[in-house]
Amino acid sequence: MTETLPRLGRARAALVRPWLLLAPALAVLAVLLLWPLVRVFLFSLQDYGLREITTGEPNWIGTANYAEILASPELWTVVLPNTVGFAVLSVAGTVAFGTGVAVLLASLGTFWRTVTSSAIMAAWAMPAVTGTYVWVWIFDADRGVFNDVLMGLGLLDDPTNWFTNRWTFYAIVLLNVIHHGFPFVAVTVLAGLLGVPKEMLEAAEMDGAGSFRRFFSIVVPQLRQVFAVVIILSTIWDFKVFAQVYLMPGGAGSNRSVLNLGVWSYVESFGQNRYGFGSAIAVLLTLLLLVVTAVYVRTVLAEEER
Amino acid sequence: MTRAMRRPVVAATGALLLAATTAACGSGGGGTESEGDGTLSVWIMQGTNPDAEDFFADVSTAFEEETGATLDVEFVEWADAHDRFVTSIAGGTTPDVAETGTTWTPEFADAGALAPLDEYVDGAGVTEDLVEGLVEAGTYDEQLYGMPWYAGVRSLVYNTEMFEKAGVEPPTTWAELEEAAAALKEEYPDKIAVAVPGDAEFTVYPWVWGAGGDVATLDGDTWTSGLDSPESQEGIEFWTGLATEGGYSSEGATTWRETDVLDAFAAGDVGMAVMGSWTPGAIVDANADMEGKFAAVPIPGKDGGIAPSVLGGSHLSMFETAEDKDLAFAFIEMMTTGEFAQQWGEQSGYFPGQVSLLDETLKSTDPLVAPFAEQFVDGGASVPAAATYGAVQAKLTTSTMMQSILSGDADVATASKAAAEEMTSILNGSE
Amino acid sequence: MSTTRPLVRPEVSTGRRPLRRSGRRSSRRSPLRQLGKGVLVALLLVFTLFPVYWMLNSSLDAQAGHTSSFWPAEPTLDHYVFVLTEGGFGTFLRNSLLVALGTVLISSALALLASVAVARFRFRMRTQILMLVLIVQMVPLEALVIPLFVQVRDLQLLETLTGLIVVYVALALPFGIWMLRGFVAAVPVELEEAAYLDGASWGRMFWSVLLPLVAPGLVATSIFSFITAWNEFIFAMTMLGGATENYTVAIGLRSFFGVHSNDWGAIMAASTIITVPVMIFFILVQRRLASGLTAGAVKE
Repeated sequence: MTETLPRLGRARAALVRPWLLLAPALAVLAVLLLWPLVRVFLFSLQDYGLREITTGEPNWIGTANYAEILASPELWTVVLPNTVGFAVLSVAGTVAFGTGVAVLLASLGTFWRTVTSSAIMAAWAMPAVTGTYVWVWIFDADRGVFNDVLMGLGLLDDPTNWFTNRWTFYAIVLLNVIHHGFPFVAVTVLAGLLGVPKEMLEAAEMDGAGSFRRFFSIVVPQLRQVFAVVIILSTIWDFKVFAQVYLMPGGAGSNRSVLNLGVWSYVESFGQNRYGFGSAIAVLLTLLLLVVTAVYVRTVLAEEER
Repeated sequence: MTRAMRRPVVAATGALLLAATTAACGSGGGGTESEGDGTLSVWIMQGTNPDAEDFFADVSTAFEEETGATLDVEFVEWADAHDRFVTSIAGGTTPDVAETGTTWTPEFADAGALAPLDEYVDGAGVTEDLVEGLVEAGTYDEQLYGMPWYAGVRSLVYNTEMFEKAGVEPPTTWAELEEAAAALKEEYPDKIAVAVPGDAEFTVYPWVWGAGGDVATLDGDTWTSGLDSPESQEGIEFWTGLATEGGYSSEGATTWRETDVLDAFAAGDVGMAVMGSWTPGAIVDANADMEGKFAAVPIPGKDGGIAPSVLGGSHLSMFETAEDKDLAFAFIEMMTTGEFAQQWGEQSGYFPGQVSLLDETLKSTDPLVAPFAEQFVDGGASVPAAATYGAVQAKLTTSTMMQSILSGDADVATASKAAAEEMTSILNGSE
Repeated sequence: MSTTRPLVRPEVSTGRRPLRRSGRRSSRRSPLRQLGKGVLVALLLVFTLFPVYWMLNSSLDAQAGHTSSFWPAEPTLDHYVFVLTEGGFGTFLRNSLLVALGTVLISSALALLASVAVARFRFRMRTQILMLVLIVQMVPLEALVIPLFVQVRDLQLLETLTGLIVVYVALALPFGIWMLRGFVAAVPVELEEAAYLDGASWGRMFWSVLLPLVAPGLVATSIFSFITAWNEFIFAMTMLGGATENYTVAIGLRSFFGVHSNDWGAIMAASTIITVPVMIFFILVQRRLASGLTAGAVKE
């Protein structure tokens, strides 16, 4: 920065000012996100029930909650596979589908692009709670349109309850999450695509590179930043699915085979009054997310500092 | 849209934001903490009495006349009431008085949220007149925390029009029930002959007991769930078999709760179902066409007789957060004794929690009251009276078992064994 | 941060390029390609719009839940009347609007200040703070439910809209900072320098130079904060507890579903009422949203 005003005053201001500007935001983050994170860890080391919450008295039990969680077969056979498997599938699905849509949009004329992106906006705008109920209604066993159509086409003899089977249950959640999540990816990637210099594309074309190769060898490297951001954010959002599972039939705990870490933590806490145990589950979920995303974060910040 | 036009929009939005936020902050503080200033806050479960709003308008008037205090009644859904109680206990935002389901009273008392009532009940001189089963359920650590208010029982409710058309009589044994279901299915292939809901534990226990099994028994200090005994399994096998083998239920019912059964029955889509003594009013309320088109019989035992069914009900409990406890009990007394208690019972189809009032109801010959009364007296049973039973319910142990059987994920033996283990462990608090 | 950054406002660049592109495309328009593209667009439209259509369809059909038909078998507005009167969705909408607008206003202001700090100043711990902002976004909400519940209780804000606004500001803030940072960085430093040369103070420069230039970014972050607050479920469920009069649309819908779980016409009408305002808003601002993402998430 070129200094044109008296050096000393500006230098001091430049030292203090960023902290003044940051102060309100940091205060909010500290009180409402960081301190609660510390607390959830403290709770996880206690047998923390309703009584402890009301009285505020601690009830330390060391790592017993963690020991119980890690020893529970439910964690390894159901909860963890559901959480991780679903996150991987939904991130991959959302990013792949969103990118595909972006490529398609980039090749459309103005009119169709406006129409299609408006439709995408409509999908994006649907709140998770309403979206979930709409999908539940579409797949309703007795009166949902999905079963009706399948039976009308003769593909299905009797109505099937798609919510009771672990795989079909999560297939519906996946559909719901991709439907809600792909617009962000599509819009972001599209913006990036339009920024790729077309000379580069044309040069590649002249070399005789096919469109797939062209895409992966020229466009993707150009958009590394874009993909990094899109993948991080999708991972963050998709690991956190709660309402989309909790509100489905059987999703609130009666169908054990569809539990994920989030719902498990919630039902143990607020259903069983085992806030300590629930907190321990939440801590594990947080650690898992941190590990998964740490790699991406480093990539992004490394680019940043360059 | 041009840039010049866009600016004012942004500015206007900003002004709107500002105005709205100020309003938000202004209206934010008005929670439910209105104690101490002559107002009594009360939570009542929704759906018990179709005329609840009119009823409580009358109660409010009478209460204000008697005590000078105003009543602030909030209606709460059964479905999320438990979580809501728990969060309000944790948050210290409990009402002064609330209707608490009989299985929850010991749990909330255990959390230190409820005030003991013995002193007040003795003072009012009604101790001797309370229905025994409800007193038992409301007692924790030898103190009464839940004032008996009303109780209900589930029986077999059937669609008389469908039964006539199919040419069947209400069943008195399990074999007859299955025949009736088959005949109904034949006549109405698109309807549900018998609804077997997956997420409604109280519709399961009659079959367990009807076959001679137990839900859980107490031996000394230790609870043992009997859901996996051969008798219990036979009952569960019969009940779920109606759906899985007979195909008399529906696929959707696998994830149904009792409210779904009620909705479907009221729509005329169900031949028979295990439903509560309080549902007739709600059925007609939901669909006036159903008036006079359904009736009830006690749930048949395996080879006849009456299968026991859960005596479910509600207490009125006083919370420790109530500042004026005398005022709170004045309300409890007004609700559970005399005119209002009787009127509530009549409107809701529940049996009152006072012996003197109950006797009156039991003499009824109303076809939608008498069969339930018979079930109440001759086939009433209770869920395990443990403070931890609420946790079993919240864990959805029985619903989990039912859903895994109904969806074909597990057979009766496996599912009932898992459920029994889980229930035993939670009941004994050995989590 | 470097002064060599091209002076291109993202919005301008995305607006211009398609024109040049369409010229190129027309030269290689083969019928087969066009057909394939048409099919893809059709499939995409079906996938994105079918749930929306089905929601509208059921909400307008008196027979919804009895027969499934691809257009209203017995058109009616009764479901809407029912939902807005007995369902109480008028109140829920009002509450959600207040909470969302409050969240937008406060979080945008805080995020803007913070983003200026991280984008315009180089100071010790800057990287750590950026890292922090990114990491706190990763924290699953379920992990925060219990401690935040206790926290908000201690502030005596349970069951109030103010309590929700406080929490939502915290949830919306990290993403807001992250996104606005790109916008602030894209504003050429030369413009700031020019303002100083004219004798403006830093505050004056902020208001008259920086703020107008990051306005599109503010719109984009506002939309995100708005959506966060409008859609949020788990905190509203735990913190509003029994205060039905303060329910937001998301838990209002769940509570409605709890009683009328088989009345799909009414549930879909309620869903429509919740969704359509946001949808229209989204479609109207889509260009701004796209440009916001370009500058915020995508750094050229």
